[in-house]
Amino acid sequence: MNTTNLALNLTEIEEMYPENPIDFFRDKKLCLFKACLEKYFPGVRFGIEDFLTDLELNVMTCTNQSCCSGTFFQRNLITRAQFGAINERNLSEINKIADILLFSCNGCYNSLIRGREFLNNPDVRKKTQDILNQLKNKNNSDNYPGKYEIVDDLKLKLVHDLDFFYLIKNSVVNALKYDLKDMKVAVHYGCHYLNLSRDKDSIDEYLRPKTKLEELITLFGGNPVDYQERESCCGWGASQVVIHPKEALKITFNKLKSAENVGADFMVTPCPTCLYTLSKPEYREKMQKWYGEKLEIPTIHLNELIAILRGCEEERCITLRRKTPRIEEIFEIITQ
Amino acid sequence: MDESSNSEWNWDFYEELVDDVEENKNIIQCISCGKCVGDCPASKVSSFNVRKVIGKVLRGDKSVLKDSDIWYCYLCERCKRVCPKDNINIPLLIINLRNESFKKGYGPKYNDLRKYVEMSERFLKTGVVLDEPLGKKLPAERIDELNEICNFARIKYVFKASKSTTKSKKRKDKS
Repeated sequence: MNTTNLALNLTEIEEMYPENPIDFFRDKKLCLFKACLEKYFPGVRFGIEDFLTDLELNVMTCTNQSCCSGTFFQRNLITRAQFGAINERNLSEINKIADILLFSCNGCYNSLIRGREFLNNPDVRKKTQDILNQLKNKNNSDNYPGKYEIVDDLKLKLVHDLDFFYLIKNSVVNALKYDLKDMKVAVHYGCHYLNLSRDKDSIDEYLRPKTKLEELITLFGGNPVDYQERESCCGWGASQVVIHPKEALKITFNKLKSAENVGADFMVTPCPTCLYTLSKPEYREKMQKWYGEKLEIPTIHLNELIAILRGCEEERCITLRRKTPRIEEIFEIITQ
Repeated sequence: MDESSNSEWNWDFYEELVDDVEENKNIIQCISCGKCVGDCPASKVSSFNVRKVIGKVLRGDKSVLKDSDIWYCYLCERCKRVCPKDNINIPLLIINLRNESFKKGYGPKYNDLRKYVEMSERFLKTGVVLDEPLGKKLPAERIDELNEICNFARIKYVFKASKSTTKSKKRKDKS
């Protein structure tokens, strides 16, 4: 099984629709994978949902989708086969209703791609199918409505929001009401976007630096700044910030400090988990206590930023539920 | 400098790990170049050192399971990306080692995983990790499916352990 088949082939779409890649999606059903941390940052979901709706695309979420469970696999609380079965259940449900599955979270995206990779191991694949068969055997009961098989050639294709926005960048730019007024922006891709193993399939992909965020920021009228810790981890590290907070927040501190050192006005990321670590006021306070310096650089998700630039109501982008340092100042500067 | 002679190699531990997770067989290709260590976020803030971990495994040194080092890995997959070899999956090796550590009782105690107790409970009761998720909740009949999938997994033990702890706490409070 070739796991790259699961990812949407962006090059093919660019070749098929060189003028307007958005046209590829016109007759497709698009599903947004629900990331748990969107609870804290609803603008991450609304930012893309509202935009796709305005573009008159067919967009939905799947009621039967569960969390990706990556966090439990990473903490040894479920096996690879159980992780695989949770993934296959989600893929199977979403495959019934949609053609394209979009991800606002690096963690969810990596979970589904990695869950599929594990199935290349025949033993894991058999155990995963055995678990799914257990559900099938109980299918007569009302409590078990699902029948699941591992489908090798899924109709459903997966795409990360960053790759999607980059592919349709002209449509994004055309929809913007404001620009970034030459503000200095530090980009943070996040480990599970930067370190995708499928990039090792070709030497070109492996060596090519990732620059999509910088290119988008430039198109939005901003000034992407290079900084020493550009590729470093946010500090979350599969819950290291919970288990070993002093060490993990040192990484977070170094990252934010490095961006502040080059005068970045704010930091943008395509992952809500990174955003949570980089922006949580409690973590900022701990960093000040442990490392003696107050860091004020605001952080924002790409989807939220696009929503602000499109002129969406504050509640639909950065939301009133969130009061991180200077975030409203950035909002004011962009929308003034 | 971590030096070893050929006589120190012992494949028993390696074979045990490969039996459990076949992909681990590829760690034998490690050329000790150290790119994984140089790019590792955990190595910058702790004594976690991938090259040493692999060296210990290949020498059959099971003390690696008792070391706290393996619990510092960020599972960021940077090592997997920068490794010049094709199929060495270090994050998977670390997860496997942590699993063995758990089995032998060296891993973190369930008390250390208390944050995960709440998350596990929510996942098994609602299908999501955080309460009050954005949008509609997973229908009840679908939650049974998740519980069936997670049968015999640690996620259920931490959940059950938390319930018995809560009960005994309530009993204590009453008395």
